[in-house]
Amino acid sequence: MSEFLLKVNNLRAGIDGKEILRGVNLEIRPGEVHAIMGPNGSGKSTLSGVLAGDPRFTVTEGSAELHGIDLLDLSPEDRSHEGLFLSFQYPVEIPGVTMVNFMRAAVNAKRKYFGEPPMSAADFLKMMRQKRAIVELDNKLASRSVNEGFSGGEKKRNEIFQMAVLEPKLSILDETDSGLDIDALRIVAGGVNKLRNESNATIVITHYQRLLDYIKPDYVHILYKGRIVHSGGPELALELEEKGYDWIKQETDQQ
Amino acid sequence: MTPAEAFGQYLELYKAAYTAKDGILSRLNASCAAALPGAIESYSTESTDIRETRTPALFAPDYGVNAGRIEMPADPAKSFRCGVPKLNSLLAIVSYDIFHATDTMTRGAVAGLTYESLRTLKDAEADDAEAILMKSIDTSRPDVLVNGLLLQDGIFIHTSAGTIVEKALQIVNIDAASVPMLSPRRIVIHAEADSHVKILLCDHSQNEDIENLNSQVVQIVAERGSKVELYDIEETNASTRRNCTIYADISDRASIVLNGSFLRGGITRNEYVVNLKGKQAEAHLSGLGICTDSQILDNRVTLTHSGTDGHSSQLFKNALFDSAKASFGGKIIVTEGAERTDAVQTNRNLLASPDARMHTSPQLEIYCDDVKCGHGAATGQLDEQALFYMQTRGIPREEAVRMLTQAFMVDVVDNISFEVLRQRLHILVEKRLNGTSGSCDTCATACHPQSPEQL
Repeated sequence: MSEFLLKVNNLRAGIDGKEILRGVNLEIRPGEVHAIMGPNGSGKSTLSGVLAGDPRFTVTEGSAELHGIDLLDLSPEDRSHEGLFLSFQYPVEIPGVTMVNFMRAAVNAKRKYFGEPPMSAADFLKMMRQKRAIVELDNKLASRSVNEGFSGGEKKRNEIFQMAVLEPKLSILDETDSGLDIDALRIVAGGVNKLRNESNATIVITHYQRLLDYIKPDYVHILYKGRIVHSGGPELALELEEKGYDWIKQETDQQ
Repeated sequence: MTPAEAFGQYLELYKAAYTAKDGILSRLNASCAAALPGAIESYSTESTDIRETRTPALFAPDYGVNAGRIEMPADPAKSFRCGVPKLNSLLAIVSYDIFHATDTMTRGAVAGLTYESLRTLKDAEADDAEAILMKSIDTSRPDVLVNGLLLQDGIFIHTSAGTIVEKALQIVNIDAASVPMLSPRRIVIHAEADSHVKILLCDHSQNEDIENLNSQVVQIVAERGSKVELYDIEETNASTRRNCTIYADISDRASIVLNGSFLRGGITRNEYVVNLKGKQAEAHLSGLGICTDSQILDNRVTLTHSGTDGHSSQLFKNALFDSAKASFGGKIIVTEGAERTDAVQTNRNLLASPDARMHTSPQLEIYCDDVKCGHGAATGQLDEQALFYMQTRGIPREEAVRMLTQAFMVDVVDNISFEVLRQRLHILVEKRLNGTSGSCDTCATACHPQSPEQL
């Protein structure tokens, strides 16, 4: 067993022949929260997509291991079973599939992967109730179609609710703060903090320092032109908030 | 094979083997025999038709016909158990083309309801049925004429004025022949004023290896203020060919519901000819098709509004896998004087494979001004983003495809007001998408019967 929960080594990937990630290195230990910041188009969402297995991206070089398992070799569903969770920047609406059926399929698929029988209806509903409370999600949402007609805040709370149900080892929150008002941000961040423990880890992808006031990172990385060009502690995020990205761009472009 | 050969062979067969001269069916046979040569002569090749099937090709094989009316010794009612539990229907079985009443029909006899074989009708009812049967002599349709030419049995459903039939009338069509056979089937439905009847048709085939042609014609006459609901489920097999035409004439304030669930079959061709003749007449048509392998499904609607204040809706959805092909041709005609018509037509199709093919042709012909008519047709693929989203939650891709396909179809099923059937159809659709036979776990014998003696 590796001491790292996630170990990304020289990861290169792109879309339609265009290289976006140009050698990303990242190591995350259990219990840690890492923030990844960077200007638009630097590859943040590509990194989360590649780790989750989005088929639109092609990996050309490098490796990514989740607790020692080669992540890039697995289907998106198996990555999920192995403990990876991606909270989408734009959660997808799925008309006609109710939240309850969606979550039951997800929970039972994971149990099947580990050779366990499906969860009983009573246990499942009890768990749904408990997990909903974490993000103060209305139980009426259970009978509605996945994300359909949800407000921006409800969609993001729904993402964290799913995270609570699936109990991932590594969660990637892709711009979870976008489209959220202050109250929703507080609830979402509160949910994430409640789910933190010493054996799991979180990657927070964000443009703004604001979210990091709520979810305190141990490390902050700056992604620019497909590489992590700067890493530091929480103070790096404050510096960025103050000075913007220009100094990073200059520094990198000069090299 | 030319249309003359394809259809003409049955005329020869009729001349050689049909000897009865009395009774309403014999008279229908003779009238169709007289009309068929002209119909064949004027048959156009449907060159502008988008359909995947042509009726001459469907009728071309050398099908046998049970001219001698050999009875099946086994009681099919005993070998069949309904796939829609708790339906508590008035059940009839049509095995090959022979109608069998079951004891549910006498036990549950409803005052004002006639539900019996066209062969046994008498007096006024026989006259009524004959008048309706004769209306089906449609010289533009040699396939319908062949049905009338060969028809030896059928079902007559009549509700007298004001009769509300609470229970559904269920008719199970079973193919069990061991040689290729053509089964001519007919259902005549006459709902008198303010009566209400609902009918469930279930098509099953037993023999995977034998090609059969189900030739079915349904004639509905809905009088003033009546309501007729017809639900049609096809769950046959790859060697079954189905050619079904449903005619409906709708009078003032009458309404009809026509719903088809085409879950499994070989080649299926459905034709709906709906005439909203009365004021405030209503027609609601819907259909779903799930086609796999090289299945073919053609749905064609010709819906004519000739009365004022009519309302019609059409919702047809298909999910096509593998190299399945389907078509939807929907024509709404609003004639001169049919003011304040409100008609809407929707066709949506899902292509789940690069080899699947869908043709759709929505058409509106409007000859009057104060009309609301809407149509929409769209054919697309599963949403890749939705599939990926589901996979990231651990749902295997195959299951995600199934869930999304089911979700795509769900509104067609949800629109069914017949609750027991709606619940059952949700399950049948899910099972179909899972690749299991829908009725096998509730129907002990439909697909593996205590085999009726083979024809």
